[in-house]
Formats: sequence, structure tokens, C-alpha cells
Amino acid sequence: MNELSEFFGRRMPADRVIPELGDGQVAVQRIGQRYQCQRCQQWLAETDRLPNGAWYCRQCLQMGRLTSQTKLYTIPEPNRFPIPAASRLTWAGKLSADQQRAAEAIYRQVQQGKDQLLWAVTGAGKTEIVYPALDWALTRGWRVAWVSPRVDVCLELAPRIHAAFRDVSQCLLYGEQTVPYAYSQLTICTTHQLLRFERAFDWIVVDEVDAFPLATSPLLQGAITRAEKETGQHLYLTATPGEALQREIRRQTLAVTYLPLRYHGFLLPRLQVRLAWRWRQMLAKQRLPKGLVRQLQRYGRQGQRFLLFVPHVRDLPLVMAALDLAGIRGGASVHAADHDRTAKVQAMRDQRVSFLVTTTILERGVTFPNIAVVILGGDDAVFSTAALVQIAGRAGRSADFPKGEVTCYVQSQTRTIRRAQVMIDRLNRQGKQRGGHT
Amino acid sequence: MTTCVWCQRAFPVSLTLPEILAWRPLPQPPLCPSCQDRLTPITGNRCPDCGRQQATRTVCHDCERWQAVPLKNHALFRYDAGMKAYMQQYKFQGDYALRKALQAPLSRALSRQTYDILVPIPIDQQTWRTRGFNQVTGWLRDQPYYQALAVKDDHKKRPQSAKTRAERLLTPQPFQLVEQVAPILIGQRVLLLDDVYTTGRTLRHAADQIYLGGAKAVTSLTLAR
Ligand SMILES: [Zn+2]
Ligand SMILES: [Zn+2]
Ligand SMILES: [Zn+2]
Repeated sequence: MNELSEFFGRRMPADRVIPELGDGQVAVQRIGQRYQCQRCQQWLAETDRLPNGAWYCRQCLQMGRLTSQTKLYTIPEPNRFPIPAASRLTWAGKLSADQQRAAEAIYRQVQQGKDQLLWAVTGAGKTEIVYPALDWALTRGWRVAWVSPRVDVCLELAPRIHAAFRDVSQCLLYGEQTVPYAYSQLTICTTHQLLRFERAFDWIVVDEVDAFPLATSPLLQGAITRAEKETGQHLYLTATPGEALQREIRRQTLAVTYLPLRYHGFLLPRLQVRLAWRWRQMLAKQRLPKGLVRQLQRYGRQGQRFLLFVPHVRDLPLVMAALDLAGIRGGASVHAADHDRTAKVQAMRDQRVSFLVTTTILERGVTFPNIAVVILGGDDAVFSTAALVQIAGRAGRSADFPKGEVTCYVQSQTRTIRRAQVMIDRLNRQGKQRGGHT
Repeated sequence: MTTCVWCQRAFPVSLTLPEILAWRPLPQPPLCPSCQDRLTPITGNRCPDCGRQQATRTVCHDCERWQAVPLKNHALFRYDAGMKAYMQQYKFQGDYALRKALQAPLSRALSRQTYDILVPIPIDQQTWRTRGFNQVTGWLRDQPYYQALAVKDDHKKRPQSAKTRAERLLTPQPFQLVEQVAPILIGQRVLLLDDVYTTGRTLRHAADQIYLGGAKAVTSLTLAR
């Protein structure tokens, strides 16, 4: 049964008549000659019609089907949260001088009501940098959402943020969640889940703003805009802003804070490119480039654990077979639709496997302390500049092992790879000016 | 290129030479190869009664218990993880467009069956209002069928999927004959059509009513087993 609070700042169908909700709004509406879904704003196809005469939206079906016979109800966000006398931050960690400077900038700008971007290198500790500003927002009774297009990122963030603000009501929302929705001051969710919100949030933090599918999805971008109050603001977090964001920075519609150094003060590992002739044809015969085999055998001898990225899911079994033939064993392969994905990543964390062979899904959010990174076929179109920078950023994350090796095997040098190298070098130059060490 | 009705990704259509040369509209497969792979056709040995895939051709353990009420069923696909995911989206989430995915295999299967009258298993009024379609008739294109059965008004609705096997077997008769349509059954061979064969209870209830209506023989066809 629906609670009234489920409608605070949201657009939801009701499972019974609730007089307080008023008339509501028809979920799929005729506009001109076409029908539009009022939750995801997408237009219906002419065939999206049921035998009982209703129209239904296929685009947001996963969140529960809406039809022209469904109604959506909203109660304007009342911000019904306690206003505490003091800080809500229960995080005991300490920011580095660099992080502190960035944190102060964000804190200042949130008070000025600015839309912002934090451009921080991978491994800069950007989550913690937001804490002081978030604390300020929460003590004012703001409703805040921390969102990411990637569910892994949300799952990893939720317990950390929960521990950092233990006394603040929080909920975690994603497609397969089993815990029911609860009206909370702090919502951690995938960008998809924002489709259910309507002018709810005073502040939205968008983590990994450049990640798939948000970067290319007007549907999700629209969801963020509509979930934000008219008086609200947002903060984008990224290590690799795309073209559109860089344009916004130039136009100064976003206030930017840079953080070119990792929290441990070491520069980013550089992306080494090595030539591998006809690696794809070789792979079809279950063979890998000689240089790559030698490198991985060396890792094996040194006990160096590694991530090997390949372009496509269909490459995984071939690479695994080729590694096995070369005597490189004790690892696992993992891809997006892999049912054992979480278990395999955990096995890597627990050091029960010595390497993972994977596609771009592990490019973000997933951290292992001492890891070498190898990319086979970095010239394949699936590896965007952002993806390459993110992948390279998996290496050298921990203070105990700040230097990591990142090697990219290619048949030809591409512009995307060049751009990734340039982006890393540029961040490192800025980092060096701030006293970063190699 | 065409768009997969299930995953909504575009995929290239591979054509055979006769298809290219034929002076006909080109076939548009509804599913991309990887979605097609999620559905496993039942091939080789199967239970002669319920149609489940198995190693032998003898009556399966479940069907032995039904010896007193025989009913021959033919099933097209295994009810495995892929088919469950399909049914979840089509039937429970109500994605009517997914009907297209199984229209062609069903059409082929129907052409191989011997029957005079096709009777789909009906849905109740409440489901018609909320789901908006009968998942079984959704798979039919232009094959004639007769809605000779209806769900009784007093049949208390609790989803079959929420019941245990023992509970399902005890389910009381949910159907009744539709007065205006029933006379057509007299002396005919009737094929019942349903989505999933689980315990066989539902189909046997339906068969009982169809026999009562005067049918000569009743068999059944389900999309999954
Ligand atoms: Zn929609
Ligand atoms: Zn597909
Ligand atoms: Zn059987």
C-alpha cells in the first residue's frame, strides 16, 4: 500500500484511491497526433497499443508499465526533515591539502547556488571532497540525490556515504533493489531512478557524469533536469569530461574545480602503447601477441596481479583459452551480463584470483590496491578517450603502490588513444605544478 | 538493419540467396541472434504426455501421477531462465510488443497439429483490465480461434506462480463454457493453447469442460514446458 510520503517530489501511480492526491495526471497523453509518456517523456510508436485500447510506454517499462489508463500523482516536495543544531558528518578521515582546497571551493560555490563541475583525476578521492558541502546542505534541511549512471558505483558508494552521515535518513534505489522505497533526505540512486522524481531535490550530485549511458541519453539527462527543483542546483563529478561539458566550462555556465593530483600525491600512470600486429587474427587462433604473453608471464612470476581489458564479450573465451595455452592461469573472465560478476570481482578483491579478463564494464568504480592494467586492442572503437583514461586510472590507486603499469596493445595508433595520452599528460603537468611526484 | 523487439538493439538481417531472389517482402526477424539464443526449442526426446525435454521417450515422473486423466501436450520451448525472462517482460510487465517474438514459431507448430478447433486458455476480467491483453491470443496472427472458455466470475484470483505444486493440483475448476460459442465444440477435435505447462492442472480443467461441451478429442499446445 502506498504511503503519502511516497509521492513527495515524485510522479507515481497509486494502487488505491487516496483523496489527498487530487486528480493526478494521465500517464500517457495524447499530444497532437502522437502519444507521450509523462514519466520518461518519450514518444510512443504507433504500434504501442493494447487490445483493450490503451496506449503503453515501452521505454520505461522496466519501472512498471504506464498506460493511457494509468494516472500519476505528485505531492510537491515538503522537505520534511529535521534541522539539526550541528554538523551531520560522522566521517573521521582527513582530507589532503589538495583535497581540502577543492572541498572548500565546492562548499563556497554550493552556498552561492552555482551549478558546478569537479574535474578530479581518477583516484583523487572525489567522494570525500564533496562531504563538507553535503554536510552544509543536509544541515539546512535540503533534500539531496547522489546519482550515477552505473549501478556498481551506487552500490559501492551507498555504504560509504551511509557511514559518513550516519544520522541522515538515506535510501538506495536501483533496478533490482529489494528494499522498499522510503522517503529520505539523501537518495543514492542510478540516473534511471530519477525518472520517478519531480522537482524533488535541492541539490543533485551526478557521479561519473561522462559514463555510459548518461552521456548519450537525452532521456536520462532530462530525468536529472526534472528531478531538480526549480530553485535547485547540481554538481557533476568526473575524471574525463566529454566535449559537451568542456563547452559548458568554456561558456562558464558551470563553476569548475580542478583536482589534478591523486590523494596520495603521485602522478597518474602513463599509458604505454605497444604495437601488436594482427592481434585479432592471432586471437582467432587462440594466440596472443608475444610481447603481451611475456609481460603477463613476468607478472605471474612477480606475483603482480593484473586486469586485462578486451574490446568485446565474444573475445573473452578466446583470450581465456589463449592464456591457458600460454600457461597463464588462476584468473577469471567477467562481463556486464555475467551473473557471477559481483562474486568474481569480490574474488579478485580477496586475492583468490590473480587476474581478471574483462570488457569496459570494469573501467570505473572498481578499485584493487596493487594492480597492473593491460589493454588488448585499445584501438577498437569501444574504447573511447574517457574509457581509456578511466581504465588507466585503475592502476596505482593505493598509497602503498602508487605507481602502476598501464600497457595498451594496438594494431594502429588512433586519435582516441592519442587524446587519452594527452589528457593524462596534461593532468600530470598540472599535478606536477602542485608538487606531485612520479 | 532491423530492430530487435526484445532488446531494442538494431541488428543486420542475414538473407539467404532464395530470399533475396524471391519477389516478396523480405522477412523481418523479430529477435536479434543473441535474444533468439535465450530461447531453447525442445528437440529430440520428450515426454509423450506433457512434451517436456528429457533423455528418454517414456512418460515422465510428473505425468505418471496423471494417468487417470490423460492429456497429450506438445510444447515448443523449454521453460528455462531465458523463457522465464521473456514471460516476465511479456506477461507480467505487460510488454505486448513481445508477442511478435513467438508468432512465427507458434504458427509453424500449429500447422503441424491435427485439430478442427483452436481454443485459447482465457484470462479473467481483472487481468483483461490491468494487463490489457490475453498473452495467449497475442501470439496468434490470423489463425481462427474460438473463445469457448471463460474464467468463472467467482474464481478467486491468486497467481498460479505464487502457489506451490501441491496447491496448484488442488485448484478448483476455474473455467466455464461460453454459452454462445460452446455448440461449435460438438464432435470436434479441439486443440487448447496455453503459455506454460507447469503441472498440467489448468489444461486438464479446461479439457474437462471442453469434453463436457461435446468435443470428440482434446489435445494441447503450450509455448513452454
Ligand atoms: Zn515512459
Ligand atoms: Zn535482441
Ligand atoms: Zn510428462
